[in-house]
Amino acid sequence: MIRFDAVSKNYPNGTTAVDELSLELAEGGITVLVGPSGCGKTTTLRMINRMVEPTAGTVSLRGQDIRDVHAPELRRGIGYVIQHAGLFPHRTILDNIATVPLLLGWSKKKARARAAELLELVGLPAEMATRYPNQLSGGQQQRVGVARALGADPPVLLMDEPFSAVDPIVRAELQAEFIRLQKELHKTIVFVTHDIDEAIKLGDNIAVFRTGGKLAQFDTPERLLAHPADDFVAGFVGQDRGIRRLSFVKAGEVPLREGPVLTTTTAVAQARATDEPWILVVDDARRPLGWVEAAAIPQGGTLADATLTPLGHTFSLVGDSARAALDAALLSPSRLAVGVDVDGAVIGVVDAYELSAVIAVAKAEAAAGTTDGGDA
Amino acid sequence: MNDSEPLIRWGWIGDHAGELADYTGVHLRLGLLPVLFGLIISIPLGILCHRWRWLYPPVLTVNNILYSIPSLALFMIFVKYTGLTERTVMIPLTLYTLSVLVPNVVDGLASVPEPVRQAAIAMGFGPVRRVVQVELPIAVPVVIAGVRVAAVSSISLVAVGQLIGQGGLGYYITRGLQLDFPTPIVTAIALIMLLALTTDALLVLAQRLLTPWSRSKVTTS
Repeated sequence: MIRFDAVSKNYPNGTTAVDELSLELAEGGITVLVGPSGCGKTTTLRMINRMVEPTAGTVSLRGQDIRDVHAPELRRGIGYVIQHAGLFPHRTILDNIATVPLLLGWSKKKARARAAELLELVGLPAEMATRYPNQLSGGQQQRVGVARALGADPPVLLMDEPFSAVDPIVRAELQAEFIRLQKELHKTIVFVTHDIDEAIKLGDNIAVFRTGGKLAQFDTPERLLAHPADDFVAGFVGQDRGIRRLSFVKAGEVPLREGPVLTTTTAVAQARATDEPWILVVDDARRPLGWVEAAAIPQGGTLADATLTPLGHTFSLVGDSARAALDAALLSPSRLAVGVDVDGAVIGVVDAYELSAVIAVAKAEAAAGTTDGGDA
Repeated sequence: MNDSEPLIRWGWIGDHAGELADYTGVHLRLGLLPVLFGLIISIPLGILCHRWRWLYPPVLTVNNILYSIPSLALFMIFVKYTGLTERTVMIPLTLYTLSVLVPNVVDGLASVPEPVRQAAIAMGFGPVRRVVQVELPIAVPVVIAGVRVAAVSSISLVAVGQLIGQGGLGYYITRGLQLDFPTPIVTAIALIMLLALTTDALLVLAQRLLTPWSRSKVTTS
């Protein structure tokens, strides 16, 4: 789809932004370019739409050398999302989104109808259409930036640190939205970030660059965490990559035990007889209500009379990862993570120590991968 | 000056209303056409200076040298070529506006945020379309700020043109001085100030209409 053949970018002052890069990006996936500042990741991205011209080598898009395409025309066929949204302040939100269709010569009516569709797609209310960019929050502007990039439904989307200028809560929201959109649209996306967590969260494949514009490793997130190619990559993915790898273990694979789970109608005497330090109180449908500490169990009556300590958060056996389970265990007052099914009913509990067995299994599988599954 | 003569005789104004209106029209033309011509020259010149920065310092220097030449001297230079006509007044006034307008066009274009410029390139705007459809519209508030200064100073400078007989309302100033009669002088000054202030107010209004985006309040929900 997008292919770099021995591409270099050198500047007259002697700096090398990209050094002999050869890379092939698959169609319909998210490739994340990640690395420290000055590693050439943005330069690499901008060589795809000719905002930067390489000094050596060729970049081709669907088999065609991009130098053969008139640059503005090439760019109209490639969506681009910039870090600070870069919306046109003098145009309304709707006209911002309609930019590329209008450049392509669509009628105003058709371009605006398309823009209205996209506004909805990125989750913004229709009444924002007539506003100007400075009337929107940073997160909303970034959504408009994504909608504008999708204007003419380009097969390729380039995203240059699109979520790094917003606060962490909005960023997580935008990332989740982005994953949802991609499931719907199946674009070929090249995404630049300096944040390895974001890279692992979003990427189908990750290209790690080192300073001097050299590609250090190109791999799936799982394999990047399991087998960093060298010390640089290992250092860049971080010391807690063991915990990160839990993201790739499904919560359904976590061994659960039944645990001290009792309904609100249970008599206190029976609860005390369990001799557990903490008891998880559930309703009739086994939905968790809260924890009660043994010392706080009332003298008589049922568990409905007990004062409950809030749950913290539970993890879902469907959809969550083992990392969410570990987090739930660490934050739970009883140190037990509560696993629930799709209806929110308790299936069982697990503690951090038991979860460490999952890490050991993942490690063993990864080790097996080095010998026989190395190129999988 | 004759001490018994009052500063203003209202009757004179009433008697000369038609003539005053004619001179006001001439004054407005002599003051504002140079601003329009100045803008027509400054926009392309400013775009060139913005595009090739090395061009800007020499252009700025030439503009400032022109501005430093006393208007009387410039009138005398142009009289040789254009005679005692309105053009002889308007050409120097046009040249004077450049020292305000060219820097404002350049600053206006520089006020376009870099991400916006980058986004325009990435969306596939060609160089000409980018300037016309993105950069110039964003530069409008800064350019109009310059036009306001140029218009007010141009309107007040017109009166000097009376030295070659083309001064608009300036006519009443020299006339009043010759006759030792303050009413025309006071009336002309008041009208010139009124023209300047009205023009300025209209330009502010024009900016509001042209750039609804720049005054919209930031409201986040």
